[in-house]
Formats: sequence, structure tokens, C-alpha cells
Amino acid sequence: MAKAIIDGTEIEVDKGTSILRAAADAGHEIPHFCYHPALSSPANCRMCLVEVEGMPKLMPSCYTQVSDNMVVHTKSERVIKAQKAVLEFILINHPVDCPICDQAGECKLQDYYIDYDTQDSRLRSQKQNKVKAHAIGPEVVYDGERCILCTRCIRFCEEVTETAELTVVERGDRAEIRTFPGKSLDNDYSVCVTDICPVGALTARDFRFKTRVWLLTSTESVCTGCSQGCNIHLDHFRNEAQRYRPRFNAEVNDYWMCDSGRLSYKELHADRLLAPVINGAEANWYEVCRNTANKLTKAVEAEKNIAFVVSPQASCEDLLIAKRFTDEVLKTDSLYLGGKAAGKADGFLRQADNNPNRRGMEAVFQDRAFKPFSDLIEEIKSQKVDVLYMMGSHVPVDADSRAEFLNALSNVELFILQTPTQGDLSEMSNISLPSCTHAEKSGTFVNFDGIAQVFQQAFAPKDGALADGEILTRIAKRMDVDFGYKNLSEIQDTMFNIPEPPPAEVAEETQTEPSAE
Amino acid sequence: MSAKKTENTVVVRKVVRRKMNFAERTYIPEFAKGLAVTMRQFFKNSQPNVEKRDTFTRMYPEEKTVYPDRYRGHHRLMLRDDGQVRCVACMCCSTVCPANCIHITAAEHDDISIEKYPSVFVIDELRCIMCGLCVDACPCDAIRMDSGEHIQPFGERGEAFLNRDLLMSKGSLSMAVQGGENG
Ligand code: SF4
Ligand code: SF4
Ligand code: SF4
Ligand code: SF4
Ligand code: FES
Repeated sequence: MAKAIIDGTEIEVDKGTSILRAAADAGHEIPHFCYHPALSSPANCRMCLVEVEGMPKLMPSCYTQVSDNMVVHTKSERVIKAQKAVLEFILINHPVDCPICDQAGECKLQDYYIDYDTQDSRLRSQKQNKVKAHAIGPEVVYDGERCILCTRCIRFCEEVTETAELTVVERGDRAEIRTFPGKSLDNDYSVCVTDICPVGALTARDFRFKTRVWLLTSTESVCTGCSQGCNIHLDHFRNEAQRYRPRFNAEVNDYWMCDSGRLSYKELHADRLLAPVINGAEANWYEVCRNTANKLTKAVEAEKNIAFVVSPQASCEDLLIAKRFTDEVLKTDSLYLGGKAAGKADGFLRQADNNPNRRGMEAVFQDRAFKPFSDLIEEIKSQKVDVLYMMGSHVPVDADSRAEFLNALSNVELFILQTPTQGDLSEMSNISLPSCTHAEKSGTFVNFDGIAQVFQQAFAPKDGALADGEILTRIAKRMDVDFGYKNLSEIQDTMFNIPEPPPAEVAEETQTEPSAE
Repeated sequence: MSAKKTENTVVVRKVVRRKMNFAERTYIPEFAKGLAVTMRQFFKNSQPNVEKRDTFTRMYPEEKTVYPDRYRGHHRLMLRDDGQVRCVACMCCSTVCPANCIHITAAEHDDISIEKYPSVFVIDELRCIMCGLCVDACPCDAIRMDSGEHIQPFGERGEAFLNRDLLMSKGSLSMAVQGGENG
């Protein structure tokens, strides 16, 4: 342990801690560009200079370790002078095209200029012109003039993805970031560089010019792209998701997320089913619930074979309702496994299982056995299924089997589908019920590692959509079964109520905010 | 209602009228006097020299109103030297607009030095409260309200959505250097 005094605050930190981190712990912010908590410290931007008593020169606090009895000043006159000088130096060739720049509003250079500089430009000569809107990779656009050469992006590609596509070319005021010859910034995590770039030099092609960041509302959510469940900020504007941004969680995704997961926000708005449909005709919820309940009541009384497809895409809360629905309303135990087909794991974040809540589903349904989806296809073909109730329109099989499934569906007397999206499946169903996406409701996903993660509702459901659990509750009520939940937290209290042994892996949401970013 | 009746406190005031003489009582000379006033005003106010008239109303629209220099009138979008729109779709104006009546869709420009431009720029003039905040917010001197024209009445709701090309048709060049002096 080392004891130091930073701006008059005494603090004890582990040996090897940098002054910048120790200052953050002590509650003093030190401005920094090149330092990032998940990357190495090259100490090249000099924004973080601090005065250490006994040292002749100012020290870069991101790199200098705290030693015993160190006395540090982060706001002394010399430091302030150095900070102004560094910012003036960076701004010599910076275009300050903030009106065009997508980073404006979340730009470190803007923030630090306001906080530490605010002096007029003294430059009277022409600025260096560099490359603009250069496609450095398929998903990322580079602007050489805005780049402050902090090399965060280079270090990300070297240390995190280990693909090493980027480097600095040229020297001095002509220096720029480029890919090595023959390479392009096209790794599966490439858009993360736009998050860590402190300025608007690297921008995501998908988000480019779409909206302004100050118009966005950010909701804490979880990516549904795979079973890793990366923590995200769901940024939305006027009831529409605009982008996903990774949210720090040391146990799940650190500061990162994969590109395909990041772009999966588009699924939230594609081909939405907007109103309940009975045999091709739109209906309202009152009608459709009564109709569905009547049909299901008849089917249960006639002891028909009812198959229920459970989706590991649904939240634990919805799945608990689904479990009770199958037990108490449908009284069936032919449960089949829905959800998306498996993909490929990449050894970093991306998992092979493309469903965000398989562990949650197992935890909620406990010892209930699920039959694979292929069995369902066989059983429908041999006319063993009279009634099919499906959650979600994903099927975990390949295209051929899916076609087979669609063909066989004519053997089913009654096909009820609960889905957010329109498609061939909803067209073939007798009753389709529009359900919410995860952006439109709150809930819990349990990732592949057994970490339960809460996601919050970002905006109101699209038109007539309702949460899966709400739909099932309404139908059950019409069939005289009242689940008796008044709100989400009542469901949350009971959903993992497994008697023995206690679910050690289903921990509470574990999150800490980064102390310095 | 209270049991006790209050006293009536109405004060009646008598108006003493001036006694009219005989000529006045016949009404005829007074009538002629009144007509004379009307006719004098009629000829004074229909003389060709507008300045000499006594009227406060104007023959709008044949006769144009002179507005003060800083009158906030019809919006216009300023132009670059080559006639393209100056606006870079930064959305500062639509953000500041208290009436929420500016709608902008940004797009990538083919010319790399322009980079970003508004492919759609619509002002809903019926919602606009003429506050001028959009003009203050613009970092590019791209939107102005100094056209000196006021908004004409609209026959249909849709006509109030002024699009980019219409706003540009009232535009002109700006003295400001695009991209700053050292750009
Ligand atoms: S990087 Fe920051 S300072 Fe530079 S133009 Fe963009 S917003 Fe402005
Ligand atoms: S592109 Fe961004 S992250 Fe990379 S060196 Fe330039 S400023 Fe830093
Ligand atoms: S004048 Fe005011 S209300 Fe009208 S468009 Fe501009 S900011 Fe909006
Ligand atoms: S503030 Fe000016 S440059 Fe920005 S969008 Fe409005 S008109 Fe265009
Ligand atoms: S030199 Fe310390 S943050 Fe860049």
C-alpha cells in the first residue's frame, strides 16, 4: 500500500496504482485523452500532467505510479498552464467543425476546452488539411483532421481484438491513423473504436448523421444478440432506438460489444406486427383474448394435444407466466424449445447460443423437460398435435427444416402465435398476438454465465403490442385463472424460487460504474 | 341570507343637460355640419398623396407595410458561393426551437469538403412563434428571418410546411466565412 496526498486529500492505494486512478478514487478528476482503463498507457497526449512535489517537471498522471508520501497537485498554476498549452497545441490543426461532427455533445475535446481552456485561438496561419470521411473499415469512418493521435484505437486493435490493423503513418502535423497496407478495419468488434475515440475522428457508419447525441435518451439495457448479454446503453429518440453503446460491466463485457450485436437494434423496429390478427382480420385485444380463451377452453375440455413452444428469447418474468400458463391453464407438459438457431462463438464475447435467456428459462422452468424443435416438426407431420401455441417467431432449425415445419402447419387445428414481427409464420397462424421487444418492457435475462441482468423499458410499446406475460395473463383471466401478480417485482420475487440447492450462479445484478474512462 | 336587512345605499345622481336652442332642436343645421365633417374626411383620405391622408389603416396588399429593420419575417436559408445550401444540418436550430417546428434530415454530401447537408429541411410556419431563436442558434449563418416579408395566410394546413427549396429561394450569400477564418 502507498499513501499519498492528492490536492489535500489523503488516500491509500495499492502499489502500482497510477496517480490518475488514485485521484479519481479521491474524487479529483484529471483530464485525459490517451489513457483508457482497459488499455495500456503510452502517455502521449500530456493532458493529464500533474505537479508532484520534489519532481522538477510535471508528470503524466496516467503513467506515474503513486509512491509513499507523494504530494500531488492537480490544479496548481503550473498544471493549469500546461493543460491550456496542451489543448492549444491539439487545436492548432483541429478543424473545430463541431456542427458537422457526430461526436459533438459527447466529445472530450469540447468538454475539456470548456472546462480547462476557454481561450480564443491565437492561430493566424492556415490549418493542415488531412483526409476527411475516409472509409477505414466497412463500419467505421475516419476523419484525419479531427484525430488527436491519442492511439487509443491502435491499442484497442492490438490489445483487445489482437488483430492489429491500425498504425500511425507520417510524422508531426501530417501524422494520421491508417490501416496497414492490404488491411481494413473489419474485425468483429471494430465499431468499439468509435466509442473509445475521445473525439469525432472515428464515427460509426451506421450512426453517422442519423441524429444528434444530445437529443438521445439513454436507457440501461442488455444486448439480445447472443447469450453473453453485453450490457448496453440503449439510446433512443422519439420512441425509436438509434444505437446501442456498450455499458461497462467487468464481469460480462468490460467496455466492449460486438458489431453484429450493436447493429441488432434494427430488429426492434423491423416488420412489426401492430395489432392482434384473427384469421387474417385485425381485432382488438378484448375480442382476441375472448376468442383465444374460448378456443383454448374447448381444446382443454376435449383433451386435445396442446403443444407449447417456449422461447429463450423471452425474459424470466414472461417465462414464469408462460410456465404457469402451461401448468394451470393449458395443463400440458409437451413443451418445445424455440428461439434462434445456434451460431458461432468467437472466443471473446460472442457466444454460440444466440438466445439471451436460455439459463433464465432453465432456472424458471426448473426440472421441466423441453423437447427439441425437430420433434415438434415430426409430431405435427404425424398429426399428433392439435393445438400449437408459440412464443416468438424464431425457430431453432435450418432453412430446410423450417420450410418443412411451415408445410406441416396445415395439420394443426389451431395455431396461436405470439410475436413482435410479421412474417410467413404470422400469416399462417390462426391467431397472432403482437408482443413487445425487450426495449419496450422491463425484465431480466440470465446470461450463459448465470449472471442475472435487469434491463429497463426504454420507450412505450409500438401500437398494440403487449409484453408476452401480459398477453398470457389476459388470456388466462378469460379462462378463469388469475395468476395474481400486481406488478413486475412480485414476479421477480418468485421467478427463481428454486427450493434446493439455492441458485448460487443467479446473482443479483452486478455492476460498478467505471471510475475513470 | 342574513336576518338583518341592510339599508339601501344607492345614490341617484341627476344629469343636468344643456338646453338646446331652436336651431339645434330642428336638427337640420347640425345634420349639415356632421355631413360636412364626413365629406371633408372623405376627400382628404382619398387624395392620391398617401402621406397627407389621415388614415391609420392601409390598403394591404396593394400598399406594402414598411417593417422595422429587425422585423422577424419569413424564414430563409442562406446560400454558399455556388448556390448550394449553407446549412450543415447540425440541428442546433431544431434543438433550440421552442415550438418544435423545424424538421431536418441530414445526409452525406458527395463533396467531401461539405460532408453533411440537409436533404430535408422543413419549417412548420403555423407552429412557429417567430421567436428568432433558430437564427441565434445557427453557427453557420445559414438560417435567417430578415426577409422583410411576413408569413402569408395559408389556405391549407399542408401549405404551411415550408420546404428547403422554398426557403432557399429567398436566400442569398452570407458575409460569414464558412468553416471559420482559418479553415
Ligand atoms: S471532435 Fe469534438 S471538437 Fe472536434 S469537431 Fe468534433 S465535436 Fe468538435
Ligand atoms: S482516431 Fe480517435 S482514437 Fe484513434 S488516435 Fe485519433 S483521436 Fe485517438
Ligand atoms: S422562430 Fe422560433 S419558433 Fe420559429 S422556427 Fe425559429 S426557433 Fe422555432
Ligand atoms: S442551426 Fe443553422 S446550420 Fe444548423 S441545422 Fe439549423 S440552419 Fe442548419
Ligand atoms: S498522457 Fe496521460 S492521458 Fe494522455
